[in-house]
Amino acid sequence: MADLTSKLTQRISKTQGQSPQRKFPRATGLVLLVAAVILLGAFPLLPFVNNYLIDVGFIVGIYALLGLSLNIVLGEVGLFDLGHMAFCAIGAYTTGILFHQLHLPIVILLPISAIVAGGFAYLVTSPVIHLRGDYLCIVTIGIGEIVRLVLQNNPGGLTNGPNGIGNIGNPDFGLFSIQSPAQFYYYIWIVIGLVIIGLINLQKSRVGRAWNYIREDEIAAKANGIDVRSFKLLAFVLGAAIAGIAGNIYASKYMFIEPNNFSFMESALLFCIVLLGGLGSIPGSLLGAAVIVIFPEIFRQFASYRLLFFGAALIVMMIFRPGGLWPRRREGLGFAGLGIAKLPRDENALLAEAPVPPRPGTVPLKTYRLPPVTVAMSEGLTLETKAITLKFGGLVAVSNFDMSVATGKITSLIGPNGAGKTTLFNVITGIYRPNKGKVVFQGRDITKLKPHTIIGAGIARTFQNIRLFPSLTCIENVMSGPHCHAREGTWPAVFRTPAQAREERRIVELASYRLNQVGLWAFRNELAKNLPYGKQRLLELARALATSPSLLILDEPSSGLNDKETEDLMAMLQVFLGEGFTMLLIEHDMNVVMGISDWVTVMDMGSKIAEGPPQEIYNNPLVIEAYLGKEED
Amino acid sequence: MAAVLQVETLCVSYGAVEALKGISLELDEGDIVAVLGSNGAGKTTLLKSISRLLVPRSGSIRLRGADINKFAPYQLIQQGIAHVPEGRKVFATLTVEENLRMGVFGVRHMAPGKEYKKTREWIFRLFPRLLERRKQLAGTLSGGEQQMLAIGRGLISKPSLMLLDEPSLGLAPVIVQEIFRVIRQIHQEEKVSILLVEQNARKALGLARYGYILETGKIAIQGDACDLRNDERVKAAYLGGAKVNNPAC
Amino acid sequence: MDTLIQQLINGLTIGSFYALVALGYSMVYGVMKLINFAHGDLFTLGSYIGYTVLVVGASWVTATFGIWGGMAIALVAAMIGIGVAGLVMERIAYRPVYKAGRLPLVVSALGMSFVISQGIMAIWGPNPQAYLSGWTPKDFLQFGNIRVPVLQIAILVLALGLMALIYWLVERTTFGAAIRAAAQDRDTATLMGINFNLIIFFVFALGPALGGMAGVMQGLKYTRISFNMGWLYGLKAFTATILGGIGNIPGAMIGGLLLGVMEALFEGYVSGAWKDVFIFLILILVLIWRPTGLFGEKTAEKV
Repeated sequence: MADLTSKLTQRISKTQGQSPQRKFPRATGLVLLVAAVILLGAFPLLPFVNNYLIDVGFIVGIYALLGLSLNIVLGEVGLFDLGHMAFCAIGAYTTGILFHQLHLPIVILLPISAIVAGGFAYLVTSPVIHLRGDYLCIVTIGIGEIVRLVLQNNPGGLTNGPNGIGNIGNPDFGLFSIQSPAQFYYYIWIVIGLVIIGLINLQKSRVGRAWNYIREDEIAAKANGIDVRSFKLLAFVLGAAIAGIAGNIYASKYMFIEPNNFSFMESALLFCIVLLGGLGSIPGSLLGAAVIVIFPEIFRQFASYRLLFFGAALIVMMIFRPGGLWPRRREGLGFAGLGIAKLPRDENALLAEAPVPPRPGTVPLKTYRLPPVTVAMSEGLTLETKAITLKFGGLVAVSNFDMSVATGKITSLIGPNGAGKTTLFNVITGIYRPNKGKVVFQGRDITKLKPHTIIGAGIARTFQNIRLFPSLTCIENVMSGPHCHAREGTWPAVFRTPAQAREERRIVELASYRLNQVGLWAFRNELAKNLPYGKQRLLELARALATSPSLLILDEPSSGLNDKETEDLMAMLQVFLGEGFTMLLIEHDMNVVMGISDWVTVMDMGSKIAEGPPQEIYNNPLVIEAYLGKEED
Repeated sequence: MAAVLQVETLCVSYGAVEALKGISLELDEGDIVAVLGSNGAGKTTLLKSISRLLVPRSGSIRLRGADINKFAPYQLIQQGIAHVPEGRKVFATLTVEENLRMGVFGVRHMAPGKEYKKTREWIFRLFPRLLERRKQLAGTLSGGEQQMLAIGRGLISKPSLMLLDEPSLGLAPVIVQEIFRVIRQIHQEEKVSILLVEQNARKALGLARYGYILETGKIAIQGDACDLRNDERVKAAYLGGAKVNNPAC
Repeated sequence: MDTLIQQLINGLTIGSFYALVALGYSMVYGVMKLINFAHGDLFTLGSYIGYTVLVVGASWVTATFGIWGGMAIALVAAMIGIGVAGLVMERIAYRPVYKAGRLPLVVSALGMSFVISQGIMAIWGPNPQAYLSGWTPKDFLQFGNIRVPVLQIAILVLALGLMALIYWLVERTTFGAAIRAAAQDRDTATLMGINFNLIIFFVFALGPALGGMAGVMQGLKYTRISFNMGWLYGLKAFTATILGGIGNIPGAMIGGLLLGVMEALFEGYVSGAWKDVFIFLILILVLIWRPTGLFGEKTAEKV
C-alpha cells in the first residue's frame, strides 16, 4: 500500500507542473467552433431526433448555463460555492411569484430575476466574503439550505411551500411565444451564446485578469492594488444573476417549480460540472454539463448513482489532472489570448511601438480615495516614518522608529535577523496598523489606509518569498501593475467599448516595456511558474515597476540569487535609479547594500541604532556590535 | 578524537534556490563547534538537513561513521541527537512539564520513571524559573524562559550531540549571558558534543573551539575560534566586502 | 417545567451525537488542517453497519447475548468498521493529494463524501431503513412526572463516557500531549521523536470510529436511518466544532452538547420546521463574528 501511494505522489508532482500541451493549431480550433455551432443549430432538425432528445438538449443547456455561472465564482476567482442553486431558486421563485402576483410577462421577469438574484447574492455574501476557502464553502452550503428551507416553510404564504408554484407562463415575445421543445432549445442556446460572448469579453479584460490574480495569490493581488473584496463580490453577483436567468428559463419551460428542484445535490452536481470541466474554462463547463446530463441517459441503470461516479471522478481528477478535462489554456496563445483589439500580429512590433512610460511621480492618481496633502514634508523626501511603534501583545516589534527616504535615491534598511525590518515594511504598506506614529508619503498621512489604497497612492513592493501569479503568463503577471491606475470597469469590458480597448492597449504596452527592461521579453508568453528562480525575481520587479510607483519597496531582492544574478540585479537597479525611481530596500547581502545605497538605516530589536552613508555604517561600532555581538566579557 | 558528525559536500536546495552549495564540516566527540554567518547564509538549512527535516540534493552526512539516511527523522533522537530549533518552537498550548516530557518521547529507555525524574530535577536546577512555572502553558512564558525551556527540552533526553540554532535570537543581553553560561556548563560537565549556530559571532567564538563562517551557502572562512575572533575577514563576511561603490562618497 | 427537563434531556442526547461527530472533525483538523467533509457520511455508514450486523445476526445475537449484547456488538462493529474506513479513506483520497494544495484536498474530500453516501444508497437502497424495535429495551425510568427511556440514559452515559475517555486521552496522557504537539508543529514534533504517520493513523482511526458509533446510537435511539442523513448531521456537527473552536477537543464536546440543547429548546418552544435554519444561522453568525469559537482556536499560535 505504501508503494502505491508513493508512486501516486510522484505522478502528481509530475503532472502538477505541466502546462497543457497545445494539441491543435488555432485554425483547427476555429473550425471546431464553427462545426459545434452548426451541430448545435441543426440538432433538432436531424431525422432521428425526437422531442425527448430535444428536451435533453434543453436540460444540457440549463446545466451549461448554471455551470457557466458557477464558473465565474469557482473557476475564475477560486471561491468554493456549494450552494449555488440558491441563486437559481431565487430567480425561479421571483419569476413564479411575480408572475402570479403582479402578472408581469415572463420575458420582463428574466432581467428582473437576474437583478433580484444578484442583489440577494450581494446581501448574503458581503458579510462572509472575507472567509477563507473551506469556511466559505461551508457557509455557502448553509446559505443554500437556508434558502431551500425558507421556500419550503412558506413564510407569509408567498412560496406555497412543498407544493411549489405552478401555472407559470411561457415566454411571450409578442410576435411569437416559446412553447415547443425545439423553441425552448433554441431559446436557451441563444441565451447561452450571448452569455458566453459576454463572459469571454470579461475573461479577456482587466476584470477577468483581476479575478485570476485573486485566485492565484490573494496577498500578491492586494499588494498590487487590486480591491479583492469588490472583485469577489462582483463574481458572486454576476454568477448569481446568470443563475437567476437560468431559473427564470427553467420555470418558464416546466411551468412548475418546487423547493427540492434546488437541493444541495443539484449544487453538488454544478460543482462537479465546473471542476470536471476545468476551472475557468468555458468549453470545459459546456463539456461538463453534457457529461453530467448525458451520462445517466446512456447508462440508464446507473442513472441514480451518477453522483457516486462523479464523486469518484473528482477524487481521481484531483490526483491525476487537477486542471480538468478541458483546462483553460494560456501559454501558446501569445498576445492574441489577451483579447486586446487591433494588436499588431508581430508582438515585437508592439514592443517597438510602446511608448516610454512617464517618469515616476507623474502618473495621475485615483485621488478620490486618498487623503489630501496636508503634512509638510522636508524638501526632497518621498516617505517619512515618524515615531512608529508596533506591539504584538507584549512584544514590541517596532519601537519609536523614524526613517526618511529621499526622492530619487536608494535607501537601505538593514539589521540582524529578527530586528523587525519586514514588520516595518508591513506597517508602511498598510498590512499592520501601528500603535503609535505616522507614515507620511508625499505629504499625505497614509498610516490608516488599506493596502490597496496605498498601492494606488504610488507605493509598490516586492516580497521576500516572491509572490507571483504562477499559472498566468509573464505578460499577464506584469499587466497587474497598471491595474490600479485603470478606470474601465465591468460593463465596458463586457461590451468592449472603444475607451476600454484603448486602455487595454496602453496596459499591454506598458507591461511589455517593463518586461523588456528586465530582460524577460523572450519569456512573455511563458507561465510564471516555469521560470527559473532568478528570472522570477526579475518578473516580480517588472510587475512592481509597471505600477508606475513613486516609491518602490524591495524586500530582500537578492535573496536566492547567485553572484552573477546579483550583479545583474544591481545594474538594473542603477538603471531604474537613473529613470528617477525612489527605492527602499531590505537587504542582507552587504555587498548589495554597500554597493548601491545612497543611505543606510540600521535596525536592531525594533529600534534605529544608526543611519548614514554606507561607508560610515560599515565602520560604525554600534552596527558591528549588532551583527557580530559584544566582546566577550 | 573520533568524529561524531561528518558532513561532506552537502548540497541542499529549496525548489530552485540553492541554499547550501557543497558544505563540509566535522564535529569531534565532546567538541564544541560554531557555525556563523549572516541571515540567509544557510545555517538553519544545515541543521535541518542534519535532522533530516530536509533532504539534500547531494553530499553525505555521517553520524559516528554511519550514514544518517539509515534513520527516519523521528528516530534521530533515539540516536542521541537533540535539535533545539531556531525561534525556540516550544509547544505553546502544552505546559512546561508536558514540553519537557515531549523531549524524551522518542527515547525508549527514558520512559517516565526514576531516571526521567532525576534528569528533570537537574533541568530545574539549571533553570530555576522553569520550576516556578512548571504548570504554566509554554506560550505564556517570556522569550528568555521559552529559550530555556527549549534547551531543557533538548537536554532532558541526555543527548550525546546537541544542535543549537541561534539560542540568543531576540533575547536581552542578560538572558543571553545566562544561556551561554548553561551551554558552557553542559559542554564541560556533561561532555555533550555541540554544534552551535549563531548570529552573535563574538559570543559564539568565545565559547567554541572551532568555527565555520557561512556566506550564501558556502564556507567562507574556518579556523580555530581564537584566531577567528581577531580576523578582519569575519567582519567582512557579515558586513560586506570592501566594495563600497558609492559615487557620492 | 417538566417539558423543559424533557427537552433538555433530548437536547443533551442529540447534542452528544453532535459532540462525538464534532470530535472527529476537530481531531482531524487539528492535526491535518483539513476539514474532512466526508466525516458526516462516515457517521451514516456506521449506522448502516450497525443495522446490517443486527439484521443479519439479530436472532442469534439476541438469543445469545440479549438485547444489550446485541447493541454492544453493533457498536463495536461500527467502531472497528468505520475506524478502518477512515484509514482507507485517508490513504486513497487524501494522502495522494496533500502535495496538490489545500483546495484540491477540499475537492477530494467532497468527492469522497459523495462516494460514501451514494455508495450507501447503492448497497442498501434509497429508501430509509429502520432499526427494529426488537433490538432495543423498552423500559422507562420514572422521575416524578418525567419518563426517561432506559435506552436514552444508557446512550447518554455511553456518549458522555466516550467523551470523558477522549478528553482524558488527549489532555492527560503523554500520547495525547504528543498529538497536541504534532498538531501544533509537525517538524518540531518530529525532532522529539514523534512519528507523524502514527499520529495520522490515530486521528483517522479514532475520529471516524467515534462518528461511526454515534451513527449506531442515532439508529438505536431514533430508529430511522437514511443514506443522506450524514450530510445534514455533518453540517450541524461542524457547527458544533466551530462553536467550540476548531482543533479544540474539549471545545468540540461542549459545542456539541450546547448545540443539541439549543436545537431542542428551539424546536420545543419556537418551531420545528425552522430549527435547521436556526442552526445554519448560528453557523454563519459564529463564522462572521467569532470564527475562533467560544473557546478559541487551539491550533498553532505564534510563539
